[in-house]
Amino acid sequence: MAHSKKAIPWIIAGAVGVIGIFLWKPTVLVYGVQRAGLYASIALPMSLTSGILHIVNLAHGELLMVSAYITYTLALLLGLDPLLALIPTMLVMAIVGFILYELTIRKALKGPELNQLILTFGIGIALSQIITLIYTNQTRKLHLDYVSASMTIGETSFGIWDFTFVALSILMTIGIRMFLSRTKLGKAAVAVGQNPKGASIVGIDVQKTYAMVFTISVVLVGIAGSFFLTRQSLFPSVGSPFTMKSFSLIAMAGVGSISGVLYCSLALGIAEAIINGIPHMSGWSDIVFFLIIIITIAVRAKKTRKI
Amino acid sequence: MKRATSYILPVALVALGVLFPLFFGPYPQTVARTIFKYMALALTWDMLFRSGQVSFGIAGFFGLGTYAAALLALKAGFSYPLAILAGALISGIFAYILGFLVLRLRGTYFSITTLALAEIFRVILRNWTSFSGGPEGIVLPQIIFNGDSRCLYWIGLAVLLVVVVVSQYFEKSKLHFSLISIRDNEVSAQTSGVNIFRTLLVVFTVTSFLQGLIGAVDVVSVGYAMPDSAFDSNYTLLPLAMALLGGQHSTWGPIIGSVLLGVASEYLKLKIPYGHLLVYGVIIILVILFMPEGLIGLFRKKKGAKRG
Amino acid sequence: MAKLTTKNLTKHFGGLVAVQNVSFSISSGEILGIIGPNGAGKTTFINLISGIYMPSSGTIEFEGVDISLMPACERAKIGIARTYQLIHPMEDLNLIENIMVGFLFAGNKSMKEARRLATELCESMGLRDLDREVSQLTMLEVKKMEIAHAMANTPKLLFLDEIMAGLNSDETKEMIALVKRLAKERDLAVGVVEHVMGVIRELTDRVIVLESGEIIAEGPYETVSKDKRVIEAYLGGTA
Repeated sequence: MAHSKKAIPWIIAGAVGVIGIFLWKPTVLVYGVQRAGLYASIALPMSLTSGILHIVNLAHGELLMVSAYITYTLALLLGLDPLLALIPTMLVMAIVGFILYELTIRKALKGPELNQLILTFGIGIALSQIITLIYTNQTRKLHLDYVSASMTIGETSFGIWDFTFVALSILMTIGIRMFLSRTKLGKAAVAVGQNPKGASIVGIDVQKTYAMVFTISVVLVGIAGSFFLTRQSLFPSVGSPFTMKSFSLIAMAGVGSISGVLYCSLALGIAEAIINGIPHMSGWSDIVFFLIIIITIAVRAKKTRKI
Repeated sequence: MKRATSYILPVALVALGVLFPLFFGPYPQTVARTIFKYMALALTWDMLFRSGQVSFGIAGFFGLGTYAAALLALKAGFSYPLAILAGALISGIFAYILGFLVLRLRGTYFSITTLALAEIFRVILRNWTSFSGGPEGIVLPQIIFNGDSRCLYWIGLAVLLVVVVVSQYFEKSKLHFSLISIRDNEVSAQTSGVNIFRTLLVVFTVTSFLQGLIGAVDVVSVGYAMPDSAFDSNYTLLPLAMALLGGQHSTWGPIIGSVLLGVASEYLKLKIPYGHLLVYGVIIILVILFMPEGLIGLFRKKKGAKRG
Repeated sequence: MAKLTTKNLTKHFGGLVAVQNVSFSISSGEILGIIGPNGAGKTTFINLISGIYMPSSGTIEFEGVDISLMPACERAKIGIARTYQLIHPMEDLNLIENIMVGFLFAGNKSMKEARRLATELCESMGLRDLDREVSQLTMLEVKKMEIAHAMANTPKLLFLDEIMAGLNSDETKEMIALVKRLAKERDLAVGVVEHVMGVIRELTDRVIVLESGEIIAEGPYETVSKDKRVIEAYLGGTA
């Protein structure tokens, strides 16, 4: 109850803001929501690893990029539509995730937090450089007809394909929630996330749980990667900004909060779209995330210090 | 006796460094200059890392120094030596102010925030076109010493020596103890009288000043600054990998690591134009997993085993 | 004269009260025992005195000066020191270097001076081979190092948090003698948290008993140990 009461002013402020933006430039709202969908579908898998394994995977954006390249390659080689190539891509990403976990993360989990950070930073570099070795720095893009589908309401028209990201992020949220609450592995994962020692005492295989959760999160970011390819041009460093953005969303939402990531994506997606909507300001939109991350981290740090 | 012998190696190395351009031509000089630059950055990163804080913001303060020096030289008519000093100072002052925000943070939060700061600097300088020249950056009318490769080499070496001296001071003074105690046990450090925040603020400011200095000298040596080159993430990646490979928490570690990786990367750059940085990623992974003490650590272990 | 006085010292974490309305004082040369069941707030109390935590309310006075909000590193400089229940030395420093930290920062001594003073201190406490890594020390040596580490602040007030835990009876006797001697030689006010009642009886002049963050009894060990509320607290009955 107290929680929902606190939310009321926020909801009112949000509603007023939305109406204001709608009157000013309706497309801003559309693009903001679409952006939010993209950010959320990339951040949600990271939220899973940081919530349960308690590591920040700095290679997260690179995994997105790798998956997009795999989809791209499969689409070219087999002549598949990327959304069909998604299925073999998921399989490959599962293998990549599992191997990464077994060879590197597993060992680093025992070490200090900073080692994990530096390790995944190194993995990110290695992944982007492997892709550079194979594909060089040249920009790659698939040309798909359906992504340019658009819609006109009144006098404003806008692309509608990007709403798939919104759908994807909502599906992912539901999927992750169901996984954590309904499946045996999911319940074990929640227990391990809260207290690994306690979980192992009651007979949960902690290592196996970690491995599965990490693999699942890599597969999920892989799905996001396949969709990412339908819209964006690929180059080896295309993923790296998304690591930061995902981390910002998670820090803002609070580690482990799945639906929080969704709301925060919405807020930041619209904030970015607003700045993009102002003439000559589009270059500044990147700063939204970085400022938000610094502010939230600083506020949170202050809170924890008081306790 | 022991004292005297321990000076022989450093003095010989410095002499070798100073005399190098008399025997080698412009290309080796340029390679050496690049290595010096990364070596100096690796040392500055390690100096802060000795307190247990991992900065991903090296590129940020390097780039800040770069732009500050270039803009002051171009727009305010500062002479190059003055611009270099001012560039370093501005970088240090920014770090001092931002330190009040970021040095309250620990672990992952500190690291990511330093990364975010570097990105903010980049975005600002990229978009504030009227002030910074935007994405195309700024070109200086001339290179310092009219581009004489020997002089450029020597000034690079001079900056490196300044950084080495500061790093040694960190290792030999009281700071050494406060940094280790912050790294090992912050709570107990406090109750032994270590002012953690003030110590970190000093170190953060000094290392950022030095990073700004390295950036400022770099920009007058190449003659231009662009947001994507001044804040290139390689300025964070390479020094980090070099320091880790050589051995963290020391002066010698980053020096050894940057010579090895610097020479290797120069060779690989020619062989594999795309993707040679893979080596750095792999080195970081391997060192963290199998050799957390770096090459210096292997040497220390051997020595320890002999003694024991 | 009282070295340290607390008035209505209270600390809560969220809704959980760890220390409540604790008023007490301790004088130079006095050894005070602090006992109570697990979770009674003994360690929180030491954390408040040493400045790891700031009090939610109430005051702490040291030598007549209010230090309630003084940061921990400043308290170390004016002569407050403590040991930790979970001893976690600086692993990247060797034995003597661990001891030097207090002289260097709390005492603001030079490197040379700190090394000399640390050596002197260690020798007076029976610690030898001062260049050893801390991982090579025996349990007794670790405990002595922990005390020496605190003594390096050259304190006037010293709190020992379960420093005897894990020692055998001979070692415990040696430590009791050591603490008594240090207190006497340096006119220290010493606060001792211990679980072993024998140690409290041997070592302390006076005892305070904490339960659920509050003082429930105070006085010489002989009196306190017969107090009904104290016995109930220890037997787990609710008073």
